[in-house]
Amino acid sequence: MRAYAIHVFKRLGQFILVVYIGITITFFITHLTPIDPVEHAVAQVSSFGFSSPESIELLRKSLKEMYGLGDNLWLQYLRFLKRVTVLDFGPSLSAFPTPVGVLIARALPWTIGLLTISTLLSWFLGNILGGLAGYYRKNRLLRLVGVITMGVHPIPYYIVAFVLLIVFTFLLPILPSGGGYEMNLNPGLNLPFIGSVVIHSILPAFSLILVGLGSWYMGMRALVSNIVTDDYVVYAELAGVPRGRILTSYVMRNAFMPQITGLAISIGSIFNGAIITEYVFGYPGIGRLLIDAVHAADYSLVLGIATISIISVSVAVFLIDIIYPLIDPRVQVKP
Amino acid sequence: MLSRRTFILLAGTALASRNAYAQAQVAASDIPRDQLLILENPEGTIKNAGWFNIWAINAGGQSTGLHQQAMDTFWYIDADHGIDGVWDNSLASEKPKYNSDFSEMTVKLRQGIFWSDGVEFTADDVVYTIETHLKTNGLRWSAPVQVNVASIEKKSPTEVLFKLKKPNSRFHALFTVRWNAMWMMPKHVFEKAGDVLKFDFNPPVSLGAYKLKNFDPGGKWFIWQKRDDWKRTTVARFGEPGPGYLAYIDPGPPEKRVIEQRNHQLDVIHDTSPEGMFTLAKESPSSTSWFKGFPYAHPDPTLPAVIFNHQIEKFQNKDVRWALALLIDIKAVDMASYRGAATISAIGVPPTGLYPKYYFDPMEKWLTDFEVDTGKRKIKPYDPTIGQQIADMLRPSMGDKIPSKPEDIATAIGRGWWKRDDQAATELLETAGFTKKGNEWYQPDGKRFSVKVMVEGDIRPVMTRAGSLIVQLWRQFGIDAQIDVAQGTLNDRRGAGDFETFIGWSVETWGGHPDLSFFLDSWHSQFVAAPGKVQPPRNWQRWKDSRLDKIIEEIRTIDFDDPRGVELGLEYLKLVAQEMPTIPLMSYNVFTVMDTTYWKGFPNAETAPYTDPVPNWANTKYMMVKLKSAKAG
Repeated sequence: MRAYAIHVFKRLGQFILVVYIGITITFFITHLTPIDPVEHAVAQVSSFGFSSPESIELLRKSLKEMYGLGDNLWLQYLRFLKRVTVLDFGPSLSAFPTPVGVLIARALPWTIGLLTISTLLSWFLGNILGGLAGYYRKNRLLRLVGVITMGVHPIPYYIVAFVLLIVFTFLLPILPSGGGYEMNLNPGLNLPFIGSVVIHSILPAFSLILVGLGSWYMGMRALVSNIVTDDYVVYAELAGVPRGRILTSYVMRNAFMPQITGLAISIGSIFNGAIITEYVFGYPGIGRLLIDAVHAADYSLVLGIATISIISVSVAVFLIDIIYPLIDPRVQVKP
Repeated sequence: MLSRRTFILLAGTALASRNAYAQAQVAASDIPRDQLLILENPEGTIKNAGWFNIWAINAGGQSTGLHQQAMDTFWYIDADHGIDGVWDNSLASEKPKYNSDFSEMTVKLRQGIFWSDGVEFTADDVVYTIETHLKTNGLRWSAPVQVNVASIEKKSPTEVLFKLKKPNSRFHALFTVRWNAMWMMPKHVFEKAGDVLKFDFNPPVSLGAYKLKNFDPGGKWFIWQKRDDWKRTTVARFGEPGPGYLAYIDPGPPEKRVIEQRNHQLDVIHDTSPEGMFTLAKESPSSTSWFKGFPYAHPDPTLPAVIFNHQIEKFQNKDVRWALALLIDIKAVDMASYRGAATISAIGVPPTGLYPKYYFDPMEKWLTDFEVDTGKRKIKPYDPTIGQQIADMLRPSMGDKIPSKPEDIATAIGRGWWKRDDQAATELLETAGFTKKGNEWYQPDGKRFSVKVMVEGDIRPVMTRAGSLIVQLWRQFGIDAQIDVAQGTLNDRRGAGDFETFIGWSVETWGGHPDLSFFLDSWHSQFVAAPGKVQPPRNWQRWKDSRLDKIIEEIRTIDFDDPRGVELGLEYLKLVAQEMPTIPLMSYNVFTVMDTTYWKGFPNAETAPYTDPVPNWANTKYMMVKLKSAKAG
């Protein structure tokens, strides 16, 4: 037990270090980019019609003060570290003065909803189909499914998304082309809104499942293909154990372990958002928010999203590290 | 293979679903589609959608209908012909009145205009707006107000007097909408709000004919409803706005805008790609645009050009700039950038609005006679038939979409441009001390003659295509030309002068009014920053010329409507033709497409050029009074 406690403590240290290094790198990368949020705002404001050089200079000065960008980089970094401990990322620079936390909180449920369902579905379907295909290698239907899955997998995601878009919104306009819900509905726990959310999520979810399926399928099929030649499986077959039971109890159960690791990391990565999906389908999630923030040089928002993403992936890895020794007898911790 | 029965079943299901979806769309909304005009908001999704305080920088969107339908200010100048002339007195009842030295401006206000909450608009609102900007840093218009205004006085409930810190004959431009201007604040709302920088102004109180009905907290759509008391707003002079409701939405990237309009779910597209425009022209009979045929798009009153950085030595010799201009084949650039759907310009103002009348007509003869001395001979570089040539080039594939009358070609496709002349370019470069070894050109200092052309990349694909083609043309001649993709950093690099050349614009005009001070004042050499320092807006080329300064200084001393302004504008045009500080290319064409399924009366170049149809322009408030339901027959 002591060994396990030391293991957890070490992993916790690693977790904190990874998070610290990750957000530090993100801070300096965003602040060293050639895009300046002040100049971005100046360009936007000056496009409103006034271009008097004196006015622009005065505006520049005011914005630097308001955005807290007048201090040197180290001071800004220390201030950021202090704030990040309480997950306060300050006001968004491109949606000033709305706090970054508010923008993230508004976008995150959309991403979590879409990606959790599509990740779980593609994981579940990919593993079941991959497991069956690895075990029943001569089954024609499963081979056909394999051909389709493997055929779709290498196609760039945006192509798949656009094909779906063209088919279901242009040629057969039976699904909405974008957005999270129908115009003029009021968000809340009411049937029209919920129904609209479901309809609007069909295409983005379908595109994610279609593309995500392939990697789970291939991984599971390869794992199962290896396991079926193991002695205990061969012995079970010779002993006349029903094939269905061999598949579920002996083969897939063992093959699932590495897939669960992959799933945990995928769930952690949900907080990154699905940038291309959200862009193509105009979905109001965190990926779309991140892209907008990068284009607008909104340091605060980029840092907020990146920090949450770094923490969530690190938490997922940390949890796997500390749970594995408890559930997989092959993994042992040493003092 | 699907069996026939399965196919029929699937097809039937798809059709039934399509109808069900269409019905669901209507059923989901309490707004009848034939009372709703749906327009694109090009700002995309608004991150902090619940902010309507347009005076705070970056707080909320402005093209969500907010500045088009809810805001108002003293004057509007249309980029085209205007609903009742180019100039419109909106909240002001007459034009601005200056004293003799332009150090004071009096504004008389229109009576009987009310905010949407029933409070009357008066001089108190104007005084409050100005005084708030005087004492608050960081509002959108704080800087120009603080730089210009010494004080403001209410002379009566309908008259205010601005006292300026120094004479400024163009001070009214701050309150004159081109696509936007400084809007008036409702005193009775803001004075109770506390910190104006932190007040969201939600729901907004409107001065326009529409008030906010509903919006998506996620920022995808904003719906405005016609005010019951629309007669107490400034547009009422022109009639009742047609649509009962307006929705400003983010439809997504260009291809989705096309899909949405083809499905009749987006009545006005702000801008799509040339390819998107051609698709709609071919596949959607109900879609219309500014021009009936080529180039379809609305020409923006801006002038994309090759902008040289004059602080780089190799571009300081006008012979070099002229040589680079003569190496451009504008027909090829036109095809590469807009697939032919551009409106070309050889001179330093865009060929849009009323500028053909003010500047292009008077310049035509001068341009035809204009000579460039190559050092070995004098050439006449202007070819007045280039527009015609482009039309002829496009006609075999586009047929009757291409105008045939010379005046229509001039309006739509443009007039003349500089003819490509490799020999003249060679002579000009040799005169400038450049030499050619093999097929490579070298500068007088012995270095390879290289030119980098900065473009924005995917953010502005049309200009990027133009830049790529120009690079190719220069490379063919032996110049080491390269594309420099700035992708998102162009604003910063442009401001700091961190470029050799770029494709963009430093010329923006009123479009409908001939006064050039909108951009020209900032071209004065007094504002040119030292190399590496951030440059004030517009004179990105950092060009200094005492003859230009003289023109600008005289413009500063004359009235906005003084006919001398046009004469000075012509002097400017001749100077930039001689000096070629930037190589003008074409107007920035915006592919605004309008669907006539539900609404008719949209503006167009031929029969109704009453306003700029691009829906993020505040002038589009005038469009609403011209729109009628298509049901009306």
